Amino acid sequence: MVGSQSAMREANRAAVLTALRRHGGLTQVELATATGLSAATVSNIVHEYSDAGLVDVRMTTRSGRRAQLVTLAHRTGVAVGVHIGPRHMRVAIADARHEVLAEQTMPLPNEHRVDTSLDRAALLLVELLDRIGSSYDEVLGVGIGLPAPVDTATGMISVPGILRGWDDVAVTHVMEKRLGRPVFVDNDANLGALAESRLGASRPYRDSVYVRVSYGVGSGIVIAGRVHQGFAGTAGEIGHVMVDPSGDICQCGSRGCLNTVVGVPALLGALRASRGILTLQDLVTLAVDGDPGCRQVVEDAGTVIGGVVAGLAAGMNPQCVVVGGELGGTGEVIVGPMREVIRRRVLLNHVAPLEVVGAELGVRAEVMGAVMLVLDNTDLPTVTIEPSTYGDGAIHA
Amino acid sequence: MHNDPVSLLPHDSGERMVSPVSASPGAAAPMLSMRQISKRFGPVEALAGIDLDVRPREVVALVGDNGAGKSTLAKVIAGALQPDAGLIEVDGTPVSIPSPSAATALGIATVFQDPALCDNLSVVANIFLGRELRVRPGGPLDEERMVLEARAILGDLTSGVTSVRRPVGELSTGQRQAVAIARTLTSRPRIVVLDEPASSLSVVQTAEVLTLIGRLRDMALGVVLISHDLSDVLAVSDRVEVLRHGRNNGSFDSAWATQEEIVAAITGASRVGEGNRRNR
Repeated sequence: MVGSQSAMREANRAAVLTALRRHGGLTQVELATATGLSAATVSNIVHEYSDAGLVDVRMTTRSGRRAQLVTLAHRTGVAVGVHIGPRHMRVAIADARHEVLAEQTMPLPNEHRVDTSLDRAALLLVELLDRIGSSYDEVLGVGIGLPAPVDTATGMISVPGILRGWDDVAVTHVMEKRLGRPVFVDNDANLGALAESRLGASRPYRDSVYVRVSYGVGSGIVIAGRVHQGFAGTAGEIGHVMVDPSGDICQCGSRGCLNTVVGVPALLGALRASRGILTLQDLVTLAVDGDPGCRQVVEDAGTVIGGVVAGLAAGMNPQCVVVGGELGGTGEVIVGPMREVIRRRVLLNHVAPLEVVGAELGVRAEVMGAVMLVLDNTDLPTVTIEPSTYGDGAIHA
Repeated sequence: MHNDPVSLLPHDSGERMVSPVSASPGAAAPMLSMRQISKRFGPVEALAGIDLDVRPREVVALVGDNGAGKSTLAKVIAGALQPDAGLIEVDGTPVSIPSPSAATALGIATVFQDPALCDNLSVVANIFLGRELRVRPGGPLDEERMVLEARAILGDLTSGVTSVRRPVGELSTGQRQAVAIARTLTSRPRIVVLDEPASSLSVVQTAEVLTLIGRLRDMALGVVLISHDLSDVLAVSDRVEVLRHGRNNGSFDSAWATQEEIVAAITGASRVGEGNRRNR
């Protein structure tokens, strides 16, 4: 095994970083047990990282004894990203280089309550901050992504009825009052678009569309490198484009919206007779594993969504369409049919062909977008660092 | 470092797992089927004809007021209590569960509200207590493998327990709960019963336990979850069974049920049949 020693050293280093990212802060002894490395190896790696400014070492006490707490370095403060989806919430704390220091996902009930969910988000972020040994005043701000069009000035849902129970709540004000830190709220697809265009699949392109295929469909539009909100924040809400003139009535009140055809209730309903009760995650897993019925459902959804995205693309001439959200996790199963329809219907120019690709940040795109929203809106000396250092395989979904 | 916990479990060599493709959750036959289970403590009718089905890849939540019979039913499933009447079937075969070890033999593992752990023993010793891994049958203990496997299970279960060699007495309530659940997973269960797993946990720990329950489901296990937190229950369960005074008082599909409907069934504002939207 030639070069196995340096490969092992690399692996050990990565193990230390991964453990720190997962646990937030650890003492050297804890690092050794968490990684299975020897105390001497850990000590060497921590020294090396500390000299390079990658980790911070400070004194703490564990079980009454003094010990050195090791955390990933975040001298310039931290940004908190919160993504509240229809069935889960994800909180991530990152530093100014978008390096995630701690994160946690929490499942949520269908039609979860605004008071309970915001309360849990606040408690989660406080606990995660504690875990990385950060204090409250290191928090530059909190970015929150919601699964509905948002009036970014107040954080209120700008279209009533789409997110049941959340209509009258000015999320920005509620959370600023509660947390005492700046709060920024945006639509989750917009945040996914922001993250993918900076760190992900649409990074090389100026104009792109991010399609979030989740419990419903939404999209974020990036024009000249900036997310296009629209006047009231409803730009890109393709889930409410009519695709079936004789279809069901949507939550929004219109008939035959895209969401009534490819929303999760419709997709799972189509499988109920033959496959029983499935969850969205089951559908994704089964489609990836090649279950023909589940593949069919996802492919057909891709075709319908592709038709709507083609209309959007005809109107704005993007260079790239990125497909994310939970169903984006099926990869080519959904991206393939979307690409086919979009390429067939959009006028293809010879200057720049339209790319249709899967999201690179996966289910983390939205929460990373929320982090970027904070970093974009707070005063901070920007640190330039190669974006490829982001994640380095330590994504813990 | 971030492997799927499933792949790291000692018993997960594939022979037990139902392949995800062949599994069709809702349509599958129940692994555990209970009919007309009754249990009386003197004049107290704790269970009065309860029915319960648990299928593979299904999280069934039992909810109800104090004294509704949730924990009694859990104890019957765990073999800690004997029902006075009723039929229990595992994979379609009638069985009796006379003792906790009989339950374990049937592939049923239970984590009680207050997990019984040995404070003076280490995390790894607790996880493998009574079923220690050995280098060869009858040989010395395989410490190394137990440590590695305990670390693998815990690593993905919670970020709280950093050292598997620490005595359990030094751990927080949430960390103890994690150890108790990890302990359950080493006994190759097919059905896991969790009695109030998140009742004394912080939000992050609750989030971890809820995520873990989802993973147990993805492993094609059947999970019985007892909890009074409707938000938690609806977040991770597939089906909610309401118990009231030892009787079934409604069955709800978690994907569509509202908290109001379930609260109505718990408090008796609606009776069996009303508000039952399972077949909607």
